[in-house]
Amino acid sequence: MTLWRLFNRQSKKERYINMTLPREVYQVLEDIVGPRNITEEPATLAAYAFNFGNELYPPYANRFSIRPSAVLLPGSTEEVQAIVKACNRYKIKYKPFTTGWGSIAGVRTENSIQLDLRRMDRILEIDEKNMFAIVEPYAMGGTLQAEAMKVGLNCNMPGAGAAVSPLANGTSQWGHGPPTLYFGHNSEVLLGIEWVMPNGEILKTGSLGSGVGWFCGEGPGPSLRALIRGDIGAQGNLGVFTKAALKLSPWPGPTQLKVDGKPPAYHVSLPENFRMYTLTFPNWRAFADAAHKIYDAEIGYICHRQWHKLGKDLAPAFFLMYSNPTKTLDDLEEMLKDPEIQRFTQEMGMPLPIVLAGQTPNDIEYQEKVLNQILAETGGHKVAKMSEPDIEKFTLLYFIRWGHKNLNFVYAGGYVGSWHQYGTPDFNVKYAQVAEKTLSKYQATGLLVQAGGDAMMGPIARTGGGGTFSLEQFTAYDPANKESVEAVVNYILESAELAKDHGFPSGFDEMAALRFKGTVGSQAYLENLPDNQRFQWQWKIRHMLDPNDAGEVGTYWMVKPKE
Amino acid sequence: MALEDYRGNMQRCTRCSYCKWVLWDHLKSWRFAKGCPSIGYNNFQSYSAGGRLAVALSLLDGTINYTDGVLDIVYQCQMCGACDVACKICRYDMEPLATLHELRARLVEDGQLLPMHMFIIDNLKKEDTMIAGKVKADRGKWAEGLNIKDLTKEKAEVAFHAGCRLSYDEELSKVAKAAVTLFKNAGVDIGIMGKEENCCGGRAYEIGYKGEFSKYATNNVEAWTNAGVKTVVTSCSDGYWAFKRLYPEMGCKIEVLHTVELIERLIKEGKLKFTKTIPKVVTYHDPCHLGRQGEPYIPWKGVEKRIYGQMLVHEPKKPRFNGVNGIYDSPRTILNSVPGLELVEMERIRENAWCCGAGGGVIDTYPELCSWTVTERVEEARATGAEAIVTACPWCERNFIDAIEKSDIKMKVYDIMEVVQQAI
Repeated sequence: MTLWRLFNRQSKKERYINMTLPREVYQVLEDIVGPRNITEEPATLAAYAFNFGNELYPPYANRFSIRPSAVLLPGSTEEVQAIVKACNRYKIKYKPFTTGWGSIAGVRTENSIQLDLRRMDRILEIDEKNMFAIVEPYAMGGTLQAEAMKVGLNCNMPGAGAAVSPLANGTSQWGHGPPTLYFGHNSEVLLGIEWVMPNGEILKTGSLGSGVGWFCGEGPGPSLRALIRGDIGAQGNLGVFTKAALKLSPWPGPTQLKVDGKPPAYHVSLPENFRMYTLTFPNWRAFADAAHKIYDAEIGYICHRQWHKLGKDLAPAFFLMYSNPTKTLDDLEEMLKDPEIQRFTQEMGMPLPIVLAGQTPNDIEYQEKVLNQILAETGGHKVAKMSEPDIEKFTLLYFIRWGHKNLNFVYAGGYVGSWHQYGTPDFNVKYAQVAEKTLSKYQATGLLVQAGGDAMMGPIARTGGGGTFSLEQFTAYDPANKESVEAVVNYILESAELAKDHGFPSGFDEMAALRFKGTVGSQAYLENLPDNQRFQWQWKIRHMLDPNDAGEVGTYWMVKPKE
Repeated sequence: MALEDYRGNMQRCTRCSYCKWVLWDHLKSWRFAKGCPSIGYNNFQSYSAGGRLAVALSLLDGTINYTDGVLDIVYQCQMCGACDVACKICRYDMEPLATLHELRARLVEDGQLLPMHMFIIDNLKKEDTMIAGKVKADRGKWAEGLNIKDLTKEKAEVAFHAGCRLSYDEELSKVAKAAVTLFKNAGVDIGIMGKEENCCGGRAYEIGYKGEFSKYATNNVEAWTNAGVKTVVTSCSDGYWAFKRLYPEMGCKIEVLHTVELIERLIKEGKLKFTKTIPKVVTYHDPCHLGRQGEPYIPWKGVEKRIYGQMLVHEPKKPRFNGVNGIYDSPRTILNSVPGLELVEMERIRENAWCCGAGGGVIDTYPELCSWTVTERVEEARATGAEAIVTACPWCERNFIDAIEKSDIKMKVYDIMEVVQQAI
């Protein structure tokens, strides 16, 4: 019996018992946020237990996970603080989220309450001169970008797209995005932060901690960025970040995007100082060399190996289909019979889209020349089809606004990321070949979408804006088909084992595998990972900051350090 | 279709939250970024389309029971379809709005009814109108003295359907009067059903009473057929949606036009010319049922199949309703043809338009949600600097008038027919 079947044995009637808060506690919480902003209505709790990816994990193996005991909508830092203090006092666990996209957002343990921060959605200030914005947790990437553009600035759009929170991306969850090459990682663009710590005290970090403004993350004042988020972030398990200043970068385009065309592939035309290309390379080696050279030359505004998230065999035809409003997914199979599209698919074997944005006419001409030189040195070229006007205008908007991220799920409604270890381009291409082979094997069963074994995407930049990156291997499946879900779980477990066998550090596979095993099972798993020291550090941080163990820790992995 | 037919939609929703916002590519500001009034007002996840799919799945699975809270979640929604357009920007297998229709129908089947809806439906059954308190005998009064053909006695090529709102709202019935008079004077062979006109049934469908809808659809089509009608024209966008999208599903072949389409046609044929200058700056509100939901019905019978292992597609190719083919250009062409009139656009337009707040039965059952929604739209209109909001639906117009009366805003509200009447 597979692991997936083991945790799917409960009958439906045994599930989804609402854990009711003691009336006294409920009343305390209601007094904090007001009756309109708290609920324990079972239907609403069910909606909060629903998320993509839950079908892969215990306890229920479908899109529902554990229901929170109540959901609260705090509207201010003061309310958040009062809630956290009440949770400490009454031994109630809490889990905050912003947009709540993905199974890590929900509560993973019973007797927990969910804090939905969507009422805290303001962009409090855009400091044009000092190039930063002060935002609340639920200010979206898309809204921040639209407001920043009005004053000639732009934000590092989170990799998860315009519909997620840059504050959460910076403080709590990953932090890289398509423009990281130019803008820096979202953990790095974090300046002053207002943090309701797990014990309910408010700490202001960076220059904000000294009362001199939001402008610097390092000080004067406490610089705690490494502690609050480590590498990937505490995913909502370490207090609540209620405000943050985020560094913005120059936007050499119009103050408002003039969008036209028909859905789904709208168009934008930008001035001559913008260029949108899809590059392609003969092999992984050439791809890695080009990535190195792009960093070294310091060109490019946005650069992200995006298209292949939909699979090497299908993605090129898919995006041709997608950019034609008269076509639908129902046309894809027929399109792929066209020899011209087959040739195009071959040509797009190793694609790398890049947006160049010149701050001056000379700058864009310089970048163009450098890019051409890099292509000449690596054997790459610009894909002509992707530079046809309609496709170029669509792809340019796609990369700037990043408003189509839910295409991750376009084939059948299921996606999970795997691999995704960080390192230099040379390191990345080393595991890419293992990742491709493994996914191909599972796709061959027909239980996953057969999009091609190279379904790897990612920005060619991470911390420092460049020099390292990662390749996330996309796996598409049908969450409504239990056999398909089971195949994904087995693929992830095998990938995790393979990564260990090859000596690669923990990637997405390990994190997924941890959740398959549940909170208890994860301890032994973590202890046996070669890079388990970081989980020991997380244990220390957690026990120092949250002595009452009030924060919900479903996805905060830690191992008690050995004596 | 039944609710169970959409189980796959419920299971495959990814909770991405696109259903809460305008299409990201079109977003212009923080202030007007929201797309869904229901979650914009209520904030809890269950008041979004994605949340409602989770609630529907929980009901199907028997893991929640009906409560007053479930009724609130299901009915505090204008069924405006903004979620549907936003969802489909990245998905070809999802039909959120159709799922919400089936969810409401299931609630009605299961006797989970709102008292106000029961009252309205009772009135519909007795008096053939969705306007509470109005009686059948008064239905045709708006047309008294106009000397328009009576289709219960005479035949005509075109039937003008006034609809419930224009028939009984004395302040707005001038729109219907202006429309039939203009069309008659332009040489259109037009008639009306007068007091024998019935509700279109569209609103009954929207609140889940599919049986009542079918009854009215059948009766209306029969009456038009008996009168030799080839084309039905209406100024009501709700009615337009019912006739254009729902009636053909029941076999109706009669051409359906909104007044804006017929006016545009008359302008193109040279039968209508604007001679008067209207020196005004106006903005145009796209009614949900004329815009993103005003796409023509396309018949399809097919099956879902899997290719490439698990990819979900349809055979034969399934028509896609994502708002792209709604009626957006006709009203803009008309307004731009009026001498002196300047059209300035709001941020959320066409398939991204923010709802006026009246739809889906909300105007009758949840006045606070209705009021908040329309106020948001009026604020957006005011931000354009326009002196007036022009729209093409009497439900929107009524809601705008009421909201502005209660506010300190000085904007005027016009149906597009009133602008046309002033310009000729």
